[in-house]
Amino acid sequence: MMEENREQSVQVPTGVSVSQDREALNIEREDICIETRGLNLYYGEDQALKNVNLRIPRNRVTAFIGPSGCGKSTLLRCFNRMNDLIDICRIEGEILIDGQDIHHRDVDVAEHRRRVGMVFQKPNPFPKSIFENVAYGLRLQGVNDRRKLAEVVENALRSAALWDEVKDRLDDNAFGLSGGQQQRLVIARAIAIEPEVILLDEPCSALDPISTAKVEELIIELKDRYTIVIVTHNMQQAARVSDFTAYMYMGEMVEFDDTSRLFTNPRRRATEDYITGRYG
Amino acid sequence: MNSNANTAGERTSFLPSADAMARRRRRRYLADGAARWMVRAGGGGVVVALALIFVYLFSEVFPLLKGASVDTQASYVAEGSRSAEPAYLALERYGEIGMRYSRDGELVYFHLGDGEVIRRVDLAVPEGIEVTSVGNGEPRARLVTFGLSDGTAIIVRHGFELQFPEAGVRRVVPAPEFPVGADPVLVDDNGAALDTIAVQHSRDDIGVAARTADGRMMFVRFRVSTGSLTGEREVRRQAYELPDAPEPVTHLQLSANLWNLIGADTDGHLVYWDIAKPGQAVVRDRRRVADGDESITALQYLNGTFSIVAGTSTGQLSQWFLVRDETEDAGDNIFFLARARDFEQHPGAITDIQAEYARKGFVVVDDSGHLGVHYGTSARTLLLKKVSDRPLVHVGVSPVNNRIIFEDDAGQLTELDLWNEHPEASLKALWGKVWYEGRSDPEYVWQASSGSDSFEPKYSMVPLTVGTLKAAFFAMLFAMPLAIAGAVYTAYFMSPKLRGMVKPTIEVMEALPTVILGFLAGLWLAPFLENHIPVVFTVLVGLPLAFLLFAWAWAQLPRSVRNRIPGGWEAVILMPIICLLVWGLVELSPIIEIWFFDGSMRQWFTDMGITYDQRNALVVGIAMGFAVIPTIFSIAEDAVFTVPKHLTQGSLALGATPWQTVTRVILLTASPGIFSAVMIGFGRAVGETMIVLMATGNSPVVNFNIFEGMRTLSANIAVELPETAVNSTHFRILFMAGLVLFAMTFIVNTIAEIVRQRLRARYSNL
Repeated sequence: MMEENREQSVQVPTGVSVSQDREALNIEREDICIETRGLNLYYGEDQALKNVNLRIPRNRVTAFIGPSGCGKSTLLRCFNRMNDLIDICRIEGEILIDGQDIHHRDVDVAEHRRRVGMVFQKPNPFPKSIFENVAYGLRLQGVNDRRKLAEVVENALRSAALWDEVKDRLDDNAFGLSGGQQQRLVIARAIAIEPEVILLDEPCSALDPISTAKVEELIIELKDRYTIVIVTHNMQQAARVSDFTAYMYMGEMVEFDDTSRLFTNPRRRATEDYITGRYG
Repeated sequence: MNSNANTAGERTSFLPSADAMARRRRRRYLADGAARWMVRAGGGGVVVALALIFVYLFSEVFPLLKGASVDTQASYVAEGSRSAEPAYLALERYGEIGMRYSRDGELVYFHLGDGEVIRRVDLAVPEGIEVTSVGNGEPRARLVTFGLSDGTAIIVRHGFELQFPEAGVRRVVPAPEFPVGADPVLVDDNGAALDTIAVQHSRDDIGVAARTADGRMMFVRFRVSTGSLTGEREVRRQAYELPDAPEPVTHLQLSANLWNLIGADTDGHLVYWDIAKPGQAVVRDRRRVADGDESITALQYLNGTFSIVAGTSTGQLSQWFLVRDETEDAGDNIFFLARARDFEQHPGAITDIQAEYARKGFVVVDDSGHLGVHYGTSARTLLLKKVSDRPLVHVGVSPVNNRIIFEDDAGQLTELDLWNEHPEASLKALWGKVWYEGRSDPEYVWQASSGSDSFEPKYSMVPLTVGTLKAAFFAMLFAMPLAIAGAVYTAYFMSPKLRGMVKPTIEVMEALPTVILGFLAGLWLAPFLENHIPVVFTVLVGLPLAFLLFAWAWAQLPRSVRNRIPGGWEAVILMPIICLLVWGLVELSPIIEIWFFDGSMRQWFTDMGITYDQRNALVVGIAMGFAVIPTIFSIAEDAVFTVPKHLTQGSLALGATPWQTVTRVILLTASPGIFSAVMIGFGRAVGETMIVLMATGNSPVVNFNIFEGMRTLSANIAVELPETAVNSTHFRILFMAGLVLFAMTFIVNTIAEIVRQRLRARYSNL
């Protein structure tokens, strides 16, 4: 699929290739999965997110790009309330997922996080076997039937395109896998508990190009079933895998649009400067 | 990008010149090399120092394992040997004079080294009367008796005096005594010849027991007093006829309290007369020693006259003593003979046995020319060596156990130097059950010293090792859950600010001198617990219940109240509740005692048959637990805290609750660190001295009862080392206790390290 994409891609003036195999998407026609309204986030005195209003469409890949420290990871972590773990973090505004406020008092954080899975920058398998890593989330939900687990683990690993590589050593320690395999294992782990949204926080920054290609391929395959939000530093990556792209700067949402339009024809000067490398 | 700005034009470099850099490089290599060697030397030094400690400890312990050795000093023909058979040989402690009795009624004092006669003492056997038997008492009483053919006996003490004619000169001078007079004293009123005879000196009396030629058993007590006015010696005599033995006895021995008479009969049996009340004496027991044609050829009490050693015509040696009959229908003070142990068999018939003076050893000669050195308690045969081609007939041993003299059937006397420093120790005596004199069963006992000369030291390492493990076990039982749970809470749930206060506080507890903990435990906690035993149980049940109740109540409070306490500070509001609860339970304790335990739980324990010592394992567990908690807490807390954040976040992001994250990811990942924390804590508990010294009661018992005390290896060393004689067996055994302690911690640490490495390979995140 990647090969196909590359053949059909064209070189744009920004130096970033954007897949041209589809018509430009319009956010107004999309089914919205995540929506933020007037989101402000403070770390103590410092404001990390400033009045972010964003609508992320269902079953699409949305990329957040922007320079380091612009708040894109912070925004991502808001969606599954990982920021709750930081004592000094304070949030104003609303975040709606499927139209429901995730900070509502009836929302169970643990259940919410099951629905909104997250994959981190550094592969973080648990010090357990490959099988147990994937089964972890299910065991948390009280599923302990070995046959059910085996089925789910196999499906998750197949979805993460890892099954063929690990099927003979499911009981080996997950640390024995390569970095790219570990990252796909972590994605499989997230898929196994049937989330609706998968958040990817720079999932390929610690990986070599071949592993990166495999993970990207996986992301594109997964978008049929999941709403995917990805933070990346790599603009080519954003261009390759995403349908929509948000450019953030200094905690503000500068521009959000269809990926090909944002890369070929940004509406804001700041966006253009960043994607053409004139920033900084 | 900016750094490349001035690539064009002159190249300014801030680096030193090439020469200076080369010089600097050399210096850097030098410093690097030197540092490497110093680190190597330091590490090597530690290993060498440890090895040296081990070598030193072992060198102190090693002599325990050595047997005895002898070295021939002199050999000469005994004076008068051709005319008269020898009857008894003895040595004095200074190694100058030997003493030899012959059967014709003569005592000869002679110089050691050349056999030159110093003094002959004629025992004045009357004309026409013959010596029919010879008997001896305890070696240290130096009494020998000659039974005569007219029913009388002569009692002699082969004494000597020390004279110091001038400064720096010591002379040992013979001074024979006749404690009941030089004239023969009457033993058998009927005047029958005395075929077998025994003598013993009790505190007040001299006792003589004999078997007459016509088969009667006689026992006579002589009480010697000096008239206060006349200054003349008066001898009061009381004679008793004892019940007959089924078979004629050939050897007799009297115990030092004159309560027991033991004989060997012609049928190979030991016979025991209870003569504590001589008028109502009975034959209490008769046990077979020898089988078939075998006969008993020598019989001798060991030091203290508790155990008796019988030697047979086939070279068997067995030790016997009296054991209290504890069966229901037996009366008070009824004893029977018990065969405690056997020794290595001699190749020839045993001809003489002589007991060592201050301990439970004995030397043996046989008719095949072998000399044996044996020890009772440890069942050791320290030496069994052929020393002569001729049969040996008598042997004597020095009071300080450093010299042996023996005589062969041709009257040749041979002196030997003896090295036999540590016969008391053997693997079995240290680690096995030993049947000590007078006990009803083999046991593990540690009792190293006592006031009595005839005391049998009991050196079992088992009570001490068990005590050490018991103390460490209860300390860990108390410390482990508290320290690990505390560490997990502090590292994972507590707010960083509170953690910053709690962790250093607990770590400072480690600096608390253990002597203070021991002092508090022994003088405050032990009596407090004794008076409030129910508190132990109510706290054990009540505290966790209170925690759960509080947690439930907390969750029911409205959010507005809960939000006043920032996350991670909940522990602070729990503290007053704990204090209040414990106070309440302490106040409740007397009421519980009145309701359920008739007013005193301690008394109730006693009634239930449970021993309760004031200084017990519970007190030690708590006090030593306190000493160990900071160690375990600190290391475990670090281990939990350093579990990478991305693992906990990964778990939380998968929908795990914090508790699920702790139990499924954090404990697993931190397990190597927690494991080493526990092992280091255990190592510390095993080696801890002051607390156990002050709070255990130091009773070396073998049990795991939480309400009884114990004595640990370390406390035992601290208690006993200052009062033991340097290089004595006791001294070396204390070193061995140290070696055992060293080995225990070494083994524990090695196993811990191996397990930790494995855990780390499996669970720690790389």
